[in-house]
Amino acid sequence: MNSPAALAVTDLSFAYRRGGEELFGGLTHEFAGSAITALTGPSGRGKSTLLYLLGLLLRPSAGQVLVAGQPTQALGDGERSRIRATRIGFVFQDAVLDTTRPVLDAVVEPALYAGARRREAIPRARELLTHFGLVARADHRPGEISGGQAQRVALCRALINDPLIVLADEPTGNLDRDNARVVLDAMRDAAHAGRTVVIATHDPFVLDYADHVLDLS
Amino acid sequence: MRVSTALAEAARTARAQRVSSLMVAVLCAAICAVTLLTVGRTAAAEEQLLSRLDHAGSRLLVVTDDRSAGLVTPAVIQVLAGLDTVERVVGVDAPVDVTNSVIGEGAERVPAWRINGELAAAVTLTTGRWPQPGEALVAESAQSRLGFSQPAGAVTDVNGREYPVVGSYIARSPFEQFDAGLVLAGDETTPTRSVHVVVSHVEAVRVTETLVVHTLAPPDLSEITLQSPTGLADLQRVLGGDLGDYGRGLLLLTLGAGAVLVAVVVLAEVLLRRRDLGRRRALGASQWGLVGLVVARTVVAAVPGALLGAVGGAVIAAIWAQPPPLEFTCAVTVLTGLVSGIAAIPPAFLAAVRDPVGVLRTP
Repeated sequence: MNSPAALAVTDLSFAYRRGGEELFGGLTHEFAGSAITALTGPSGRGKSTLLYLLGLLLRPSAGQVLVAGQPTQALGDGERSRIRATRIGFVFQDAVLDTTRPVLDAVVEPALYAGARRREAIPRARELLTHFGLVARADHRPGEISGGQAQRVALCRALINDPLIVLADEPTGNLDRDNARVVLDAMRDAAHAGRTVVIATHDPFVLDYADHVLDLS
Repeated sequence: MRVSTALAEAARTARAQRVSSLMVAVLCAAICAVTLLTVGRTAAAEEQLLSRLDHAGSRLLVVTDDRSAGLVTPAVIQVLAGLDTVERVVGVDAPVDVTNSVIGEGAERVPAWRINGELAAAVTLTTGRWPQPGEALVAESAQSRLGFSQPAGAVTDVNGREYPVVGSYIARSPFEQFDAGLVLAGDETTPTRSVHVVVSHVEAVRVTETLVVHTLAPPDLSEITLQSPTGLADLQRVLGGDLGDYGRGLLLLTLGAGAVLVAVVVLAEVLLRRRDLGRRRALGASQWGLVGLVVARTVVAAVPGALLGAVGGAVIAAIWAQPPPLEFTCAVTVLTGLVSGIAAIPPAFLAAVRDPVGVLRTP
């Protein structure tokens, strides 16, 4: 018997307001593991919305998001937050780092929500920062590092809990090509390590990295 | 998130967000200091006033057997001593003049009181031993007037009865009149003229008065004279009530105003840091976790402020007038911390229920 997909949606629809425009029209899709899936389509078709539905930050108006085969629609906020903390890593367009805290704190943060102690999470955070060439910046504030470095810090943060799923919303939107390549290479490495990586993008450069494309046109 | 991790994270966040933490700390210091300088002074004045009114002299009930009908027997004294509302009780006879037995005629006369019941209720023994019936103690201040170099010897009353002096004493409040002479130990049968009852607290004066009269059981109430501080007890109750009400009103006003200001600062912080809170939600913080974080962060900032305000307020109050009671100062400090935490709850809920997607999406 095959194990369930890390991430899937069934009959998925979503509307921001009751009676408002329905997005996705009952979408059913299984996201491939060990691969990058790009969500693409014109603006306003719900790329980011689908990503946040997959990240359990929004609730569908119909259908289900399944994480490792588990339906999530009926789960309470506590359980959805626990899944988000332990199984999902997020990367945003701009890194969304806390400007008042050092880089190391930013990387450690999801581990705390997953129930780890700070001192337990720090070695893994340093390991990731080392892997991404950022360990020398561990004690710097986000204002003291470049945009590319900040996005790599965000990647470290997304990977700290060794999640099943990595969700990225236009992760290269604010980066030049060289930095975008570094970030996308890292995403590909994450996928090759067995993770399900989903990227919302309209950038053709990102699509070149995708193993699968889900077009929402 | 573990509780210990959440508290540590709250402390780190409070340190990182210096401006809002400082504002909360300053507000809490101000709340504490203002409370101590206003309500605290009222509390101190109330405590001082009530302490004065609660002085033993204000709790003294004296019943005199006007016709010497033998109402105040040693047995009655014993019964009264067993009452819960009675702190101390002695039977006191009318004073008689005594002189130093050695000097005889022409010696200075000093008063002596025959006492029934525990002498220790009225005087503190300073030298010698407690007297047996028929023996006496001399007041330290009366010793030289009687011509005693040591509290030893004997005194003789106007009827020629001699009492050996076996020690000296200092009178206890409210029996300071005994410092003028001697006390004579009564026996187990002879009644005294009056009974002096020190009631345990002013509120119990009225009920004790009834119990004492009931125990004496005079055939006719006109046979006794009652000196009772019931008026004083009523005054204490009224003053305590008025000052308490005023203080409580002022306290609620100060804490209420402080709570509103703390809530405004936390709300501003929550609105300014929407992306920070949205990021936390996306990374796995639950709504309750977020509420806890915002409240804990506020309390972490509030506690040092409240402590500083309490110390500062108490010092200023001590310089200006009198320091507020320690229990009151501690209570205000704890209350300020609690109020700041409670004030942070509505903005914390607002932070928790806001849609994180709206603030995380980049247009």
